[in-house]
Amino acid sequence: MTFEAKTSGSDDLKAIISAISTLVEEATFVATAEGITFRGMDPSHVALIDISWPNSAFEKYECDSDIKFGVRIDEFSKLIKRAEKKDSIEISISDQNMLLVTVGKNKKYKMRLIESSATDTPLPKIPYDSKITLSSSKFDKILGDVQVVSDYLTMHTYDSKADFSGKGDSGEVIIELEKDSEEIQEITSKEDSIGTYSLEYLNPVVKAVGTTAGHITCEFSSAKPLRIEFKVANIGRIHFYLAPRVES
Amino acid sequence: MKSWGRASPLGFLRQLGQHRKFLNPNKEQDRIQTFIQDHESYRVEFSILADAFSKMEATKKRLELTQHLVELFEKTPQDVISKIVYLLQGKLRPDFEGVELGVAEKLAIRAISKSSGIPVKKIESEYRKGGDLGYAASVILEQKTQTTFLMEDITVERVYETLYKIAKLEGSRSQDMKMKYISSLLNDATPVEASFILKILLGTLRLGIAENTVMDALAVAFTGNKENRKVLEHAYNVSSDLGKVAEIVANKGIEGAEKFEINLFNPIRPMLADRVKSEEEAVEKMGDRFAAEYKLDGERVQLHVEGERVVLFSRSLENISSYYPDIIEKIPKSIQADKVILEAEAVAINENTGEFLPFQELMHRRRKYKIEKAVSKYPITVNFFDVLYYNGKSCLDLAYEERRSLLEKIVKEDEYAKHVPMSIVTNKNEIEEFLENSINSGCEGLMLKMLDKPYQAGSRGNYWLKLKREYRNELGDSLDLVVIGAFFGKGRRTGRYGTLLLASYDDDQDTFTSICKVGTGFTDEDLDQLYQILSDKVTIKKNPRIDSEMEADVWFEPELVIEVVASEITLSPIHKAARDTIRKDTGLALRFPKFTGKIRVEKAAEDASTNEEVLTLFKGQRKVAHDKNLI
Repeated sequence: MTFEAKTSGSDDLKAIISAISTLVEEATFVATAEGITFRGMDPSHVALIDISWPNSAFEKYECDSDIKFGVRIDEFSKLIKRAEKKDSIEISISDQNMLLVTVGKNKKYKMRLIESSATDTPLPKIPYDSKITLSSSKFDKILGDVQVVSDYLTMHTYDSKADFSGKGDSGEVIIELEKDSEEIQEITSKEDSIGTYSLEYLNPVVKAVGTTAGHITCEFSSAKPLRIEFKVANIGRIHFYLAPRVES
Repeated sequence: MKSWGRASPLGFLRQLGQHRKFLNPNKEQDRIQTFIQDHESYRVEFSILADAFSKMEATKKRLELTQHLVELFEKTPQDVISKIVYLLQGKLRPDFEGVELGVAEKLAIRAISKSSGIPVKKIESEYRKGGDLGYAASVILEQKTQTTFLMEDITVERVYETLYKIAKLEGSRSQDMKMKYISSLLNDATPVEASFILKILLGTLRLGIAENTVMDALAVAFTGNKENRKVLEHAYNVSSDLGKVAEIVANKGIEGAEKFEINLFNPIRPMLADRVKSEEEAVEKMGDRFAAEYKLDGERVQLHVEGERVVLFSRSLENISSYYPDIIEKIPKSIQADKVILEAEAVAINENTGEFLPFQELMHRRRKYKIEKAVSKYPITVNFFDVLYYNGKSCLDLAYEERRSLLEKIVKEDEYAKHVPMSIVTNKNEIEEFLENSINSGCEGLMLKMLDKPYQAGSRGNYWLKLKREYRNELGDSLDLVVIGAFFGKGRRTGRYGTLLLASYDDDQDTFTSICKVGTGFTDEDLDQLYQILSDKVTIKKNPRIDSEMEADVWFEPELVIEVVASEITLSPIHKAARDTIRKDTGLALRFPKFTGKIRVEKAAEDASTNEEVLTLFKGQRKVAHDKNLI
């Protein structure tokens, strides 16, 4: 069995690990000839992350049989944070069930792998009526604006326009969006949609991946889950799913 | 209000599991599918347990409780019986393993907020209204607004395993993960189920089930005869593990329970002693030849030893090995046995004079860090007094005399390991003399033991008696009381608790009844120490087990036990101890109570002085007063 993957810098991996660590404590990665994937749901089943990292994204990638490996995400994250921006990171697996991580040229870590208990996490198959693509920094700012008054973000689309709003005990806020070329690239809706989502889940993941992702795409339908796609140049897919909050 | 049961509008999301089947219709999948079904065939719905809990909460009658338990046990597969027995006592493992949930109210409230989507403040106000967070959660969760991707069945196994994970979590992110695990259960639970899950988590589940009731029910459910409880009781007394006893009787019947043996490193429930007040009373009860041992003012320790491996248990069966690394290191050298369970009193000593020091000196060792420093600063000796198990055989049925001589053979005395001084006495004068000697060497009094009697694990009989030297306090005895509340201090005591509200234990109702306020006897150091210990125990709401009319400034979890003396016990219209027993709407209270300086960390709240004991003392003093009047 051969498995070796080497990145050219450390930013992407940092972002991915940081995103995963907002949801789970232990993560199981799957490596195949095509690349590395991760899929996991937080223990309360409210959020889900789906990542696919194709072999083409690596500086060097070799994997001759499918393998699964589990790590304590806290420990892995601490280790990866030791890398400088430009450091390459190379991972492989030793016979003694250790993950070998070479950071830069001469820093070599060994980390104990854990038995992976994860079962396959299915993805929600739902049609999305609305789609908003905006810069991740803009989205992050909006979340901050809404957080001032509310723990929830309500997304609303109508006639190719959109607004983000929040409502709490102390007051409310509404932020209107209009398509412009820079920050807001796209607003489309097959049907007017309105959905409410918890900031407690949105904030950490946007903070984690935001700086690495140039743009993000939010897709949702009324009272249905939200899917956020983070567009990170080198990574095939980072999808974040969040179950909605519904009015009682 | 919208009900969010299992058939929510988002059911389509929750059926993703089935969806998956269509995605991967291969043989591998079939095999997994069968495996899951096998697994599911023994799964127990948590709702069965929740139903039983609701019924049990509604009654206090022992017979009815037993009946509900029998019905529950009869529905329970053998392999989950131990889990159910632990859960219904609000535990995950036997006490001596030290697996504690340790979930604070605040964390639970955050989890409820996360699962329901309702703000923390609203949950807190709902909680304040009712006083029961489990119930408040069930009301809140009725209105829950956060949806989820997946719904899993709430089974006893899942609840147990999730709680176990929560108990084992540690590290920087553990609070956050604990909250996520809690909300994962709350998401899928019905309101009633959620209410019980929270009660277990917070340690507020009070079904009023005594261990004896559980054993009665186990005997009926698995052997068809309540009389067999005696056998189970023995098994429990030698293992301190009710779950294990349940598992054995469920799997192997009464024959299995009869063969139950002492297991090294599983603590044996200690034998306890009744108290007597005078030498005369002692002679009257013990006959004309019996053993008297010094009653050392130290910590009673049960030592399990096999070669170099030593495990120590406290009187309340907590694993206290970490507080005594010196015992672990030194004792194996003094012991001539392959496998042995011994009882000893660890006593702090003055290294220069060899004198015994009072119990509270040992408390400096109750710490997690820098224990080495405490060990060298507060040296001890280990004073052995009994042997319960020797090289594969139980010694419980041996007579005291035989056990004592075996003990003297097993433990080689040196500077560190000693035999507790013992003398055979035959009359009042000899007791008096030996008592005088014991007090002069810094002991509390004497333990009196019948020579021809076995060791009765787990029971307080009259084979052993304790005779304490009468103190200056007129009551004749000190009381161990539970700290339930406090009033803020003024003047020099500003920023600390100036006065504590204390309670005795009502073992019928399993409540803590207020008995007095105490504000004297505290040194500045005591006040600091108490403040430190107690601030971790503050609760938002008065714990439902506390029975007090008096309103304290702060309420505590009823956990800490302290020793007080008092001049007398009086009738009280305010305090709740032994209320209605002497006169209607009247309880008992302590007059001029004073803290003795002893924090009884080795005692659980349930080991505090009971209302029965208070009542006996009260009647005792009335009798004395009565006699005086006659003269």
